[in-house]
Amino acid sequence: MEVSTSQQSPLRSNYFIVWSEIVKNLKFLLAYPVVFIFWAVFPVFWFIPFILQGEAFVGGLQSQSFADISGTPDFIPFVVLGALLNSYVLTSLYGMGESIRREAYRGTLDYILSAPCNKAFILIGKALSESISSTIFAFTQLAICILFFGIELTLGIIIPVIFIVILLILGLYGMALILAALSLRYKQAHDLAHTMEYVFSVFSPVRYPLASLPLWAQILGKALPLTYALIAVRSIMLLNQSLMALHLEVLLLLVIDAVAIFLGFYLFNWMEERTKKSGTISHF
Amino acid sequence: MVYNEESNDYSIQTIDLTKRFTKKKHRGIFGFLRKSRKKEKPKSKNSDIVVALDHVNVKVRPGELFGLLGPNGAGKTTLVKCLSTILIPDKGTAVVNGFDIRKQTSMVRASLGMVIGGERTLYWKLTARDNLMYFASLYKMPRKQTKRRIEELLEIMQLSDRADERLEDYSTGMRQKIAIVRALLHDPPVLLLDEPTLGLDPTFSRQIRNQIKELAEKQGKTVLLTTHYMEEADQLCDRIAVINNGKVIAVDTSDNLKALVKETELVEIACYNPPSDIRAHIKLHCPDVEIIELIHGNEAKGTPSRIKLIGGKAEEHIGTVMDMLRKKNVRICSLNIGMPTLEDVFIKLTGARLTESGRGGS
Repeated sequence: MEVSTSQQSPLRSNYFIVWSEIVKNLKFLLAYPVVFIFWAVFPVFWFIPFILQGEAFVGGLQSQSFADISGTPDFIPFVVLGALLNSYVLTSLYGMGESIRREAYRGTLDYILSAPCNKAFILIGKALSESISSTIFAFTQLAICILFFGIELTLGIIIPVIFIVILLILGLYGMALILAALSLRYKQAHDLAHTMEYVFSVFSPVRYPLASLPLWAQILGKALPLTYALIAVRSIMLLNQSLMALHLEVLLLLVIDAVAIFLGFYLFNWMEERTKKSGTISHF
Repeated sequence: MVYNEESNDYSIQTIDLTKRFTKKKHRGIFGFLRKSRKKEKPKSKNSDIVVALDHVNVKVRPGELFGLLGPNGAGKTTLVKCLSTILIPDKGTAVVNGFDIRKQTSMVRASLGMVIGGERTLYWKLTARDNLMYFASLYKMPRKQTKRRIEELLEIMQLSDRADERLEDYSTGMRQKIAIVRALLHDPPVLLLDEPTLGLDPTFSRQIRNQIKELAEKQGKTVLLTTHYMEEADQLCDRIAVINNGKVIAVDTSDNLKALVKETELVEIACYNPPSDIRAHIKLHCPDVEIIELIHGNEAKGTPSRIKLIGGKAEEHIGTVMDMLRKKNVRICSLNIGMPTLEDVFIKLTGARLTESGRGGS
């Protein structure tokens, strides 16, 4: 007996998989009205500890000793940009890593993994829906930066920054895929996500310049995509450097992205196969 | 349907399908510490292995409604999961709609619609329509066609007017109907239905059974239906495979399976307050009866207990057993001879009752 196959192009049908996944996740998000309180409060509250911490240590908005190691005397914009990009880390790692576990918990994972489509597009949809909320946060935070901390935005700045953020997100997706793969096997992914988030916030220059870290920690930090994204974005926004001058950071980000995404998909397929053999795919 | 048994043209064919699971006794950190402290000697490998499917060979014809009847833990769900490619078998393989489950997984998946795991396999926070639109996208269905198909199927299931309500507001039976609609969205030639009426009230069960029957009879779908409800298998299925402990022990039509228990081989006595040692007494006086079953009724609610004698020359022992019951002041309600049910067939084949819980989790 014949199987009814899709009458639309693979590109179109894969686009609909991604789109349906995004729509589904956003509908889930909006199904809980309390989320709006979080969305309203979170972007503002996120800044406060960084600002107060900076004021307490530096004693003002600028510091010469800070400028000596970071290249900019403005501590607050430095930390604000760190916080802004770091918000993508948590949403990507936690969101995508946990999404597989959530499907298992809901009982839908069996159906998703037994559908005749490429799982990569489902995962891309999951990742993109997580990034949408991060981007809303980022824009709110950026608006706060412009209004209160004197950060200037021009088209010449915003386009290269968006490019760097996309490169950062791709690397984070790769790492989130690794977490999603581990959650297939070990189920509890959010503990791993939190651990990784702390690794990012300690070893990447989120609140302090990379030079503040001991040498061994700097080496570790240089394996993380957030490090290069922060260096590049701060250089563009605070030191007025061009994207061309940051070609090394861009290249290293591209390499990390490629390795993380390859490893992520490889590990996900491997773990899927393993759990299908052990019969634990729908366990949670 | 006239069918050539030699033909390879089956909708579903399993070939020595085998699946074993390893039991994990020590789970979590405390389990690990306990194991380390006790320094347990490793047991033989076989003691920690559960054979869920043991060289299963089943052939299902196109358009056939094929039942898989067995108790909980018999291996029914494992078989369905292997066929749907959610589970990879250890040995053997299966062919679904002409595609090998090991080598042609995408084509197998496109050929199948499945209802497995009950009502919890849908997104309760989304509407029925949203659920169906999402799952249709995973089957690469064009949007316009999907919308039409959803309307058509919801109409058949009499749920059109509730399509835009969240599933959390649905009853269990309605959610199960949506699960069936999901399985039918891409119009697959083969359906795997794993206990589709489990936990439903009689009205919804009847509606769903009618739908299943129509799918096979009017739409020509091949249906593999797993159930532990013998009436369901009896009423719906063209042929039934009896499965127990991972082995298929008989495959035939319901009538032919019942014929395995000869009229003279089955006696059923309904009575009140039979003593608990009655089986031992009967066994002592009627040694050639193969199986003696005591099924306790709910006597407070007026449902008598039943004593079943199966196998041997059960009929010849009626007098002896009746005398025995009278001497023990047991009130006898009725006596039936030679009217086997599928449960009797199962008892005859396995020595166990179909409704008994097995090893747990299939």
